[in-house]
Amino acid sequence: MNNSNQLSTFWAAVWAVVWKDLQIEKHTRQTISVMIMFSLVSVIMFNFALEANLAAAREVATGLLWSTILLAGTLGLNRSLAIERENQTMEAVLMAPIDRSAIYAGKVISISLFSLALEVVLIFIFIVFFNKPFWRPQVMLILVMGTIGYIAAGVIVTSMTIQTRTREVLLPVLLLPLSLPLVLPASIAVSAYMFPQLPDWGEVQGAISVVAIYDLLMLAAGFITYHYVVES
Amino acid sequence: MIKINNLAKNYGLNPVLRDVNLQVEQGEFVTLVGPNGAGKSTLMRIVATLIKQTSGNVTIGGWPLPQRADKVRRHIGLVSHQSMLYGDLTAAENLSFFARLYRLDDAAARVQQALKTVGLLARQRDPVSTFSRGMVQRLTIARATLHGPDVLLLDEPYTGLDQDAAQLLDDLLLRERGNGRTIFMITHDLVHGLDICDRVVILNRGKIMADIDSKQTTPTEFLDLYAAHTGRKKHE
Repeated sequence: MNNSNQLSTFWAAVWAVVWKDLQIEKHTRQTISVMIMFSLVSVIMFNFALEANLAAAREVATGLLWSTILLAGTLGLNRSLAIERENQTMEAVLMAPIDRSAIYAGKVISISLFSLALEVVLIFIFIVFFNKPFWRPQVMLILVMGTIGYIAAGVIVTSMTIQTRTREVLLPVLLLPLSLPLVLPASIAVSAYMFPQLPDWGEVQGAISVVAIYDLLMLAAGFITYHYVVES
Repeated sequence: MIKINNLAKNYGLNPVLRDVNLQVEQGEFVTLVGPNGAGKSTLMRIVATLIKQTSGNVTIGGWPLPQRADKVRRHIGLVSHQSMLYGDLTAAENLSFFARLYRLDDAAARVQQALKTVGLLARQRDPVSTFSRGMVQRLTIARATLHGPDVLLLDEPYTGLDQDAAQLLDDLLLRERGNGRTIFMITHDLVHGLDICDRVVILNRGKIMADIDSKQTTPTEFLDLYAAHTGRKKHE
């Protein structure tokens, strides 16, 4: 098979996985609705907790946004990978003549799409509750970059933890520390665009570079290791 | 079609398969029987390219495993006691997904034909979660044969089926054998396993104990042989 055929087979498999996940979500609406419900409850609770000091709430709004995205993301990851475990469907997928990295890429794309859909709702909620300019294109770009990196790492970790009995506990315990090098610079960058009078632009550019490098590293790790993760 | 030589598989220090030698010719229907823990499912998972052997050689259609698993996968289909289907997708969507994974030409027509063959065309738009166990197993066969595999692997396909559903499954399997497919099946139903196949292989404690021509053996003789080789009573 030549390179062009291999590439076309790879992308056909990626699209098959994405199509299948979107169809399941269209029928059940379980992943996005759970993520949105969880996020809504979290934001309301944060808002009540910080109501006494609205200025402080606005100061920490960026951190709250990322916390909500990360925690809701673990729900989406768990749900999406658990589907592959029911009825041993993953084994049927693994028996297909496709590259395992295509399954990884498909999962990253579909769960990222669910997370991005959540973030559209979250941005609206945060604008209402905290009255800050979360709609800025730069903020959205960093959210997209951060989401891709987080889900890229999350699909690897979830594919490992989903086989264990303590998967609900193990996933956040492993994934949240792993996402620290992503979330810290992403929060710095988002804050900088929320308070444009404050930033040291060199620091902001450095933070965005770290997010981009994290994305590339996690995607590369997923493409290289997913074969071992799902077959062992 | 399937050649297994000196196969061994260990889980840690625990040997599950030991010195297994087996050959299944093209178009042959071979049943593998044995008590729980004999290593049947492990052997099936190795042939299905899902796990790797510790030592020994396995070839399917001349391609060695696990080195050429990518080639082998296009030529095998697995029916297990688990459906390996997405309960939240419809019957047609499930088959369409696997048709996409296998990059089948004229996928929509093949999906329709497969649904017609297993008698589920009228239920194609219903979620699989609403199907009876028998319907799920028929759809599982449609999934496993959608890409036209040369070898059909069956791991306890009769589990949970009532008599009518089991008869339907028999008819489908005999049709597949009539189409020239090689069939390799694991079952706990000794007499039925003997009845439907060309050869029965008895596996116990990871070793092949007997390889029996089903046409040359009566059910009573076979049950006696099974008891002698496994040390189990006939009803176990």
